[in-house]
Amino acid sequence: MTGFWRRHSIHGITGLLLLPAILCFFGLFFYPMLLTIVLSFRPEGQAVGWTLENYTRFLASPDGRWVILLTFILAVGSTALSVLLSVPLALTLREKIRGHRFYRLMVIVPLVVPGLIGALGLLLFWGTRGWFNLFLTQFVPFLPSPLRVNYTIHGLILFYVWLYFPYTCVTTMSALESLDQSIEEAGAVVGANRWQVLRYIVLPLITPGILAGSVLTFMAAFGAFSVPLIAGGDYRPLAVEIYKEISIPIPARWSAASAIAIVMGILQVAFLAMYMRIVRRAGGNAGAVR
Amino acid sequence: MSDAMIEFREVTKRYAGLVANDRLSLTIRRGELMTLLGPSGCGKTTALRCLTGTIRPDAGRILLDGRDVTEVATHQRELGMVFQNFALFPHMTVRDNVGFPLMIRNLRKEARATRVQEALRLVRLEGYAEHYPRQLSGGQQQRVGLARALVYRPKVLLLDEPLSNLDAKLREEMRFEIKEVVTRLGITAMYVTHDQAEALALSDRVAIMNRGRLQQLGTPEEIYETPNSRFVAEFIGLSNFLEGRVASVRGATMTVTASGLSIHTPSLPEVAPGHKVLLFVRPNEIEILPAATPADTNVFPARVEKTTYLGDTMDYRLMLGEGVELRVQADARHRYGAGESVRLRWPRVRSWRANEE
Amino acid sequence: MTLLKAYLRGLREGWFVLGYTLCVCLSVFILAPFLMIALRSVGKGWFGKLWLPPQLTWDWYRWAIEVGNIPEVMKNTLIIGVIAVAVSTVIGIFAGWAFGRRQLPGKELLMAIVLLPRMIPPITYALGVAKIFYTLELVDTHLGVALAHVSVCAPFAILVLSATFEGLDERVLEAASVCGANTVKRFFYVVLPLIMPGILASMLFSFTHSYNEFTLTLLTYGPNTVTLPVRTYLAVGDGYWEITSAMAVIMVVPSLAILAMIQRRAKPEKLVGGFKGV
Repeated sequence: MTGFWRRHSIHGITGLLLLPAILCFFGLFFYPMLLTIVLSFRPEGQAVGWTLENYTRFLASPDGRWVILLTFILAVGSTALSVLLSVPLALTLREKIRGHRFYRLMVIVPLVVPGLIGALGLLLFWGTRGWFNLFLTQFVPFLPSPLRVNYTIHGLILFYVWLYFPYTCVTTMSALESLDQSIEEAGAVVGANRWQVLRYIVLPLITPGILAGSVLTFMAAFGAFSVPLIAGGDYRPLAVEIYKEISIPIPARWSAASAIAIVMGILQVAFLAMYMRIVRRAGGNAGAVR
Repeated sequence: MSDAMIEFREVTKRYAGLVANDRLSLTIRRGELMTLLGPSGCGKTTALRCLTGTIRPDAGRILLDGRDVTEVATHQRELGMVFQNFALFPHMTVRDNVGFPLMIRNLRKEARATRVQEALRLVRLEGYAEHYPRQLSGGQQQRVGLARALVYRPKVLLLDEPLSNLDAKLREEMRFEIKEVVTRLGITAMYVTHDQAEALALSDRVAIMNRGRLQQLGTPEEIYETPNSRFVAEFIGLSNFLEGRVASVRGATMTVTASGLSIHTPSLPEVAPGHKVLLFVRPNEIEILPAATPADTNVFPARVEKTTYLGDTMDYRLMLGEGVELRVQADARHRYGAGESVRLRWPRVRSWRANEE
Repeated sequence: MTLLKAYLRGLREGWFVLGYTLCVCLSVFILAPFLMIALRSVGKGWFGKLWLPPQLTWDWYRWAIEVGNIPEVMKNTLIIGVIAVAVSTVIGIFAGWAFGRRQLPGKELLMAIVLLPRMIPPITYALGVAKIFYTLELVDTHLGVALAHVSVCAPFAILVLSATFEGLDERVLEAASVCGANTVKRFFYVVLPLIMPGILASMLFSFTHSYNEFTLTLLTYGPNTVTLPVRTYLAVGDGYWEITSAMAVIMVVPSLAILAMIQRRAKPEKLVGGFKGV
């Protein structure tokens, strides 16, 4: 009898402890999400009625499809570049080369700096009057006019890399760190040279880590908002398109914005599920990824 | 006043259908060092945690110095305890760790300092008062744990596998140190371990547990010399077992037939010809004799199968009669090679009724 | 044989040269934008093909502070940050206690659900948050903006504090009990000192997130609740790069101080755990 009450009061206490978190989750995430879904099925500007028009209009128009395609191009491009940058970098930083602490710090700088500031600095640096073009025009022969980077797709990809490659890089570094050194030694002992050890032992073992990290980069790039907002120019990925719908037209088109937000949310949840699968499959190998 | 310091009375604890302690009754005398020994999952840790009060038994009483403490909160039980993973407070210096029980008891600062100093001297760590646990080696950390457990002179010292996180050499050293400290203070101690060598070396008495029950209770000698079951014999030291049937009983001795051999052994109470018995011989209680030794009682021909050199002794695997393998450890000075025929003499054979297992 | 060895050594050294080049290029890639912001914010008459500004001036900062109303903006940012930190730390302590120290059926799933907002771009649910706050008249209030921030800060606090509570060694608590400490003393002398670093870390993380949060602020702010990121964004729209740069410097200095603090204590992986306010 007492045991019964004890057990139940214990569950009650646990529930009570979780109550603020659950309230926060429902009030600030779940309910707003639900509201967004409802809104996306309402005719524009009305509080009643149901319609699919918001979706069909967005998905059927070439502009809408271009927005989705653009979002994918940006995310895929920056993820690929991030992997290309991160793997050699992680391998280099694994050796305790001189100044490795400093370089490690460099990797995490973009993680703590607001994207807005990053974007601003990048616009200045890569702009026609920035150091990059100054360097090109003064030191590279046969290049009389400055290279246009800002407000282009490749420029945007470059900015995304600056902001989001740390996800891939840090995950790869931690995968490398958790690698048992003796496995490599075992490889070397049986006669594999450095390249072979890298190719046949190290890379396969850290692949889950790289994969998980690149999905993180991909998701961040896919959901990027502040950077394309100020550095995108005419290129507006999904997040900016949502904001545009409620900030530019008067009256604001909440239902249209909601429909785009739901499309984006569904895609993002799909990527999240993919990420979870990778992490789970990798098990201990990518344990640090969580 | 009774002689009992700790008393378990029919203590039972179940976990989701699994019985961890099954009506365990055990008495630890004042000033005695008792070891609870058993394989993992035998219920020794549950017994200990029932005593500390971290677990409430489902049934039964626990008495501490004559007082029923079953319902008393852990912090009011006046216990000292040394933990397997040391469980030192990582954010306190050695001095504060050891002084913690005194501070909790609102002892004045000066008195605290002298008592801490005393306790640290007892474990030979006087110079380390200002160190943090993480700066100490495993052995030193465990000595701090010991000092913390003893500093306020508890009635009872509990030791929960205190040596299992240390390396082999240190373990042996600490074993003697703990024994010495406990003897010097004359404190009652309950020591929980799965290491039989530790149990034999340390204890006044050993309680062997199996499946939540007390299997055998006795001094280390009794446990080793006269185990009361196959479980105890296998758990403590090495043993050879032979199944057989009683052929005849003549007064204090009986003859048992096992694998075609006639073996003479002291008889068991209420045993009659035809009963199944289990014979048991320690590997170091068998003598290996040259093949030319004349036949006698309990001398049997055998063939050496395999030998292993162990320094002071040789370890032999022998084939006895029809496919009975025996393990024998003998003096390394006379060696027999593999394949050699020898004779074995069993001066001492013990037995149990086979179905009492 | 020696030739082969020399070849291999050369290969290795070549690798190192490449590695160094990569690291140096990376550092330039990462740091140059900041340097340009810093120089822009103090440079005067910096036109044409010049590597550095010809003259230095503090004027842009004066403009930023006076015209951009930075003191007011800073005050808003701090008030909102403090509220967001307080709320999310309380949520985090309770939930962390439940996740880290109590048996909980379906713990993994519950944890995943609570952490979900961290993995979804805020813009997707910020619309809903804004709609609700309009009805509740929370838009353009400090509390409202702070609550919006809580949706990203709280998951972080929960994550950090769950790990902290989980890391609390049961045996150490038991040791305190055996030593004679009752629940209250155990909490003050043992539990609290041991979880304090975790609480501080969680507060620091939460504050950084609130400080940097842009999306959710943009959808819930008003004239009275302009925060630093929003102010900087508005300045970008105005097109005065020098003043924007000055604001950016004012904004980024605390971020870098926090980075220095975190770098000393936490592993960088912890940061990756969640997206910052993009």
